[in-house]
Amino acid sequence: MSFAAFCRYALLLRHLTTRSRLVASLPLLLVGWALLGGAQSAAAQETPYFVTYSHHLEEPGNLEIELSSIYGTQKQGNDFIAPWVEFEYGAKAWWTTEFYLDWQGTFRDSALFTGFRWENRFRPLMGEHWINPVLYVEYENTNGADKTMIEVVGFDSQADHAVPNSVAQQEHQHELETKLILSSDYKGWNISENFIGEKNLGHDPWEFGYAVGVSRPLRLAATADSCNFCRENFLVGAEIYGGLGTSWNATLSGTSHYIAPMVGWQLPSGASFRISPGFGLNDDSHRFILRWGLSYEIDGFGHRVRSLFR
Amino acid sequence: MTRFAVPIFLLLALAFAIEGSADERYKARPTDDRGVLLAIARAPQKTRSSLNPYDGQPDAVLAGKKLFEQHCAECHGSNARGQGRAMNLHLSAVQNATPGELEWFLRNGNLWRGMPSWSGLPEQRRWQIVAYLKSLRR
Repeated sequence: MSFAAFCRYALLLRHLTTRSRLVASLPLLLVGWALLGGAQSAAAQETPYFVTYSHHLEEPGNLEIELSSIYGTQKQGNDFIAPWVEFEYGAKAWWTTEFYLDWQGTFRDSALFTGFRWENRFRPLMGEHWINPVLYVEYENTNGADKTMIEVVGFDSQADHAVPNSVAQQEHQHELETKLILSSDYKGWNISENFIGEKNLGHDPWEFGYAVGVSRPLRLAATADSCNFCRENFLVGAEIYGGLGTSWNATLSGTSHYIAPMVGWQLPSGASFRISPGFGLNDDSHRFILRWGLSYEIDGFGHRVRSLFR
Repeated sequence: MTRFAVPIFLLLALAFAIEGSADERYKARPTDDRGVLLAIARAPQKTRSSLNPYDGQPDAVLAGKKLFEQHCAECHGSNARGQGRAMNLHLSAVQNATPGELEWFLRNGNLWRGMPSWSGLPEQRRWQIVAYLKSLRR
């Protein structure tokens, strides 16, 4: 499924404008440069979630570049693929900032750039506790054709994605998204709960959502030898997420919900791969979605940039 | 897109600048009466006396060395002698600490001072790193 979807995605990219192609190629060049040894890599301590956040932030000064995508089946419309690029930077040990660029391509329709997001995560407590809170604030400037589904809130429904791109892209979304992230580590397991509140900066009400994730490495202790395919490099987990209505109508009726198992593979070189099939849990959800991601972490990125100005 | 490029660049530059100015604040490193860095010595009493389950296991030291190279060497240097603001881990300010204190410090970090929390690593791997750190004294 994923290979077929990838091939179809490659065909869809032909529809992007030259400008969008240039923007899209920048992270690919950066990842290529990093993989070819142009940068020192670092192995991150990550969870394999796509939607849920844990309290583990980016290490200070490190930059992680991630290319991710979602393939979604559409009940009354055309299937789609929505890729996004993340630049995640550890500004402090207690503050991670992240910038996203989103695209989407809908089969038998068109492909387009759908906007950007800028998020910040802060750890208010400096020590480690049973439950560790993280405060999340994000600004989104996207259009109505965005299909990345990085979060599901309010009455988000699969029917929203059946609207033709030419119509959907007319809607501009300037949104403020907040999350309370609660996360715990226990005997190798990570358990994370996210409570989401999203506000369109127009007149719409607050939209609420949730995400819960559980994950664990296949092997807790490390082996003495360096290895790529050993169990310690693999993480498995699952997440469940969905909408909770709005401040005008807080309900589960008419909301969509998903469950998604996942596998992550973290290489000692600093590269990591994730894949996660997701299954809709009711009629308002997409029946099937598939997410995948490739990331690479560059250590000491901030230090190198600063050294350029000294 | 271009109208957002300038403010985004300025915000990122601000983040780098704040990170840079922290160098000056990380000069004083107070220690307790054992000569252990206070940031490590503030570990709770019950964790101070915890024993390393991998104590005396050469494989754990090797595994800890591998983990150190993956996660710690970027700041502390591949020989653990420190660089920039990151501590020289051969010093008595670290080596005089108990294994329990070191594991606690790895788990909690010192976020205000730039040391990240390594709670995302399983406890077993943190103990393996402690085994490697303690092997540096020999």
